[in-house]
Amino acid sequence: MAAAEVQVRDKASPLKAKSSSDDKLMRLFILVIGAYLVVALAMPLYVMLSKSVLNSDGGFVGLSNYFAYFKTPSLVYSIKNSLFVGLVTTVITVSIAFVLAYGFTRSRMPGKPIFKTIAMIPILVPSLLPGIALIYLFGRQGIINWALFGHEIYGPIGIIISEVFFTLPHALIIIITALSIADARLYEAATALRASSTRIFFTVTLPGVRYGLISAGFVVFTLAVTDFGAPKVIGGDFNVLATDIYKQVIGQQNFEMGAVVSVVLLIPAALAFFVDRLVQKKQIALLSSRAVALEPKPSRRFDNGMLAYALVVSFFILGILGMCQFAALFKFFPYNLSLGLSNYQFDLMDGGGWDSYFNSIEMASYTAVFGTLIVFYGAYLVEKGKGLGVIRGAFQFLAMLPMAVPGLVLGLAYIFFFNMPSNPLNVLYHTMAILVISTITHFYTVSHLTATTALKQMDAQFESVAASLKQPFYRTFLRVTVPVCTPAILDISIYLFVNAMTTVSAVVFLYSPHTTLASVAVLNMDDAGDIAPAAAMGMMIFYTAASVKILHYFLSRGIEAKTQAWRRSIEN
Amino acid sequence: MTDAFLRIENLTKNFGSFTALRNISLSVLEGEFVCFLGPSGCGKTTLLRAIAGLDIQTQGRVEQAGIDISILPPSERDFGIVFQSYALFPNLTVEKNVAYGLESRRAARTEVTTRVNELLSLVDLADQGKKYPSQLSGGQQQRVALARALATSPGLLLLDEPLSALDAKVRTHLRQEIKHLQRRLAVTTIMVTHDQEEALTMADRIVVMNHGIIEQIGSPEDIYAAPASEFVAQFIGTMNFVNVVVASANQGTHQGGVLEFSPNSLRPRESARLAFRPEDVEILEKSDEHNRDKVLGKVVSAEYLGAFLRVTIAPEGWESTLLADISTDIAARFVVEAGGDVAFRLPPEKILAYQESE
Repeated sequence: MAAAEVQVRDKASPLKAKSSSDDKLMRLFILVIGAYLVVALAMPLYVMLSKSVLNSDGGFVGLSNYFAYFKTPSLVYSIKNSLFVGLVTTVITVSIAFVLAYGFTRSRMPGKPIFKTIAMIPILVPSLLPGIALIYLFGRQGIINWALFGHEIYGPIGIIISEVFFTLPHALIIIITALSIADARLYEAATALRASSTRIFFTVTLPGVRYGLISAGFVVFTLAVTDFGAPKVIGGDFNVLATDIYKQVIGQQNFEMGAVVSVVLLIPAALAFFVDRLVQKKQIALLSSRAVALEPKPSRRFDNGMLAYALVVSFFILGILGMCQFAALFKFFPYNLSLGLSNYQFDLMDGGGWDSYFNSIEMASYTAVFGTLIVFYGAYLVEKGKGLGVIRGAFQFLAMLPMAVPGLVLGLAYIFFFNMPSNPLNVLYHTMAILVISTITHFYTVSHLTATTALKQMDAQFESVAASLKQPFYRTFLRVTVPVCTPAILDISIYLFVNAMTTVSAVVFLYSPHTTLASVAVLNMDDAGDIAPAAAMGMMIFYTAASVKILHYFLSRGIEAKTQAWRRSIEN
Repeated sequence: MTDAFLRIENLTKNFGSFTALRNISLSVLEGEFVCFLGPSGCGKTTLLRAIAGLDIQTQGRVEQAGIDISILPPSERDFGIVFQSYALFPNLTVEKNVAYGLESRRAARTEVTTRVNELLSLVDLADQGKKYPSQLSGGQQQRVALARALATSPGLLLLDEPLSALDAKVRTHLRQEIKHLQRRLAVTTIMVTHDQEEALTMADRIVVMNHGIIEQIGSPEDIYAAPASEFVAQFIGTMNFVNVVVASANQGTHQGGVLEFSPNSLRPRESARLAFRPEDVEILEKSDEHNRDKVLGKVVSAEYLGAFLRVTIAPEGWESTLLADISTDIAARFVVEAGGDVAFRLPPEKILAYQESE
């Protein structure tokens, strides 16, 4: 037999593979979950965007709402305020987080696990909570209000301190990751070349984490600009975009102007998001290179310095949390500081009472269960499905989009979309279901990324092998994919549960008298002047979220022990 | 060849504007062991994946056991596959992995167990069934993957670089074991590899590929002794090359003089490349006056490789050096050592000539 003969053939159209029943089934499923994202995200956003160019009767008015907006000085001023709060918070949080992360990764200070746990606490509380603590500490009757030297805590100072508290864990996670991928060999090489430690810091350490720092900066900025809890509680007369949306919609029932402000808020958030995505890709490129892990060497002075620093940061976080707990227990601040549980009689206050707490648990449980199902299965289909390239690409885009959409904007979009009389889905309006749907959608992106990362770590040939053995894909999904990804699946469900407990922004527009939530109750009780009960409810959320986290910890440990026999191979 | 088990006709695969496979035609006989051999990026894995239906070709026909399977999805074809990564399911025991393709075929439990045990003893892992893949060595994992692929008695076994992830010693051992198993089961097998030693020792026939085309198909002996193209010549084994201008049907001239080669269809005045293997260099007595194609040279360096010396020789007047493999006793007899002089001849029947590609 000779070498391949070269034949000139007519250019025929490319062959099309026959689809297996698996392929068809997977396509059907991806269309179903894709349809979910279209209904729960794309269509509401579209309706909201179109509202911003309509008048209150639904007539098209072009950009006149925008002109009206920019002609109102009080509204335009909020843009400046939001940017100011965002930028200052970014600088402070990233600085604090960087030094702390540096201590965690490059020193041998004792007690790292404890300090890391403390630093994660802010994730477990609604963003309203630090504001409440600050009122007790620095408010007009605050315990240590002399420490502000006559400055007012209501306003930018209070907002910024709250936002720093609220965004610290997010920045810390990113920077720790960036610092941990450092290659010890680079440091050895630099030391061998007799570079001073300062020079090593500026030529090796900082360049290595620059993408991490940029990424952390954008995440913090977005969180701070779009957060609604802190400015609502402690902003006073200092208006920001997030509170403007709330006031336009809830206070003045001016939905069109709410939509305009939403679009204005959407711009910096979306921009920060896309820049962050670009930067993260570069960070991942750094990650894939094979590095030798860096083992910090003991240094008494440095380690003690870092320990002292971690103590200060922990004191700040625990101080805020502790203040809230005391605020909840004081009988009548500041006149009667004896402790009691009277502020826990939520049924005597506005905000929905204890029901709202149990509603929250119910909502968070549904979100965790259904959210994990939808997100993980969706990510699986995007990763492993064949064909439908365009639709899978669109799916991926929609899955990333929620990160760029502030919760308040999503909530407002839901009002517009689900409250339309012509929309058959308006039966969902004012139900538990719409709260669950909005929360799943709001926190879709991070969950999706967690699932995708776990799926990408699996051998890409599992599906090929299964097909050659003539096994349907769902069998391999249930028998292999799900067991191997259990840790990630657990992570996703806990993430969704905790965020569903603490979130205020999207749901604040969507709850009904029967479906009040704990986080919204904190907001409403604070609004009504019942600050102590608000603190008490906030702490209930914290204890619940913390318990779930602890449960998660032991559950993961249990699973790890049970599957230790085979899991080792995946890690190396 | 009407009895071909697998027949590939005019198969082309494009990735966008890049052509990974160009008009490949190939037949594989029943029970044959065929290796696709080539450097990375030559299209060998792409061809394997097209045969499996994992990445379907852009054009062309694939026929297995007389049936056109060109556009069938993998699950409707008849093959077993072993990947470089083995792709063993980490959360299932060795037994469960091997049984994976058997269970849903409504076979009785005892039947499945019997078959699994049979397969495990076939690959010499009868006592490892309860372990998880991560508790096995790389070579053992490889054998589990093989057992899993063979469990359903497929008509075609596909091996995608199955030995690349193993260390040298295990690789040599497994080479023989796989070959042995394949002979015993007489299963038609295609293996993709970039390792020529693997291909030479295991295959009944080798398909040498480069840049998406087949350079040569032939038995290991054919491929080694009579490479059909310059690419094959330099890819398989070690080869010396000398640029010459063709003088006659079996002679070429270069700076160092005239070299005779085995007759070829090259035309005079054409540039050609002559190729010969290091082991074909014949060392002569330096004082030998009778041999008219004696070449004198200096030994630049000598590398001791156990059974033989690999010697780099700078022949007088040549533009490049050449490599010669000399057995240790010949080296001793003719005093071949670094820095010394050497005399040798190149047997014309061992010198191949190729038209210069550029």
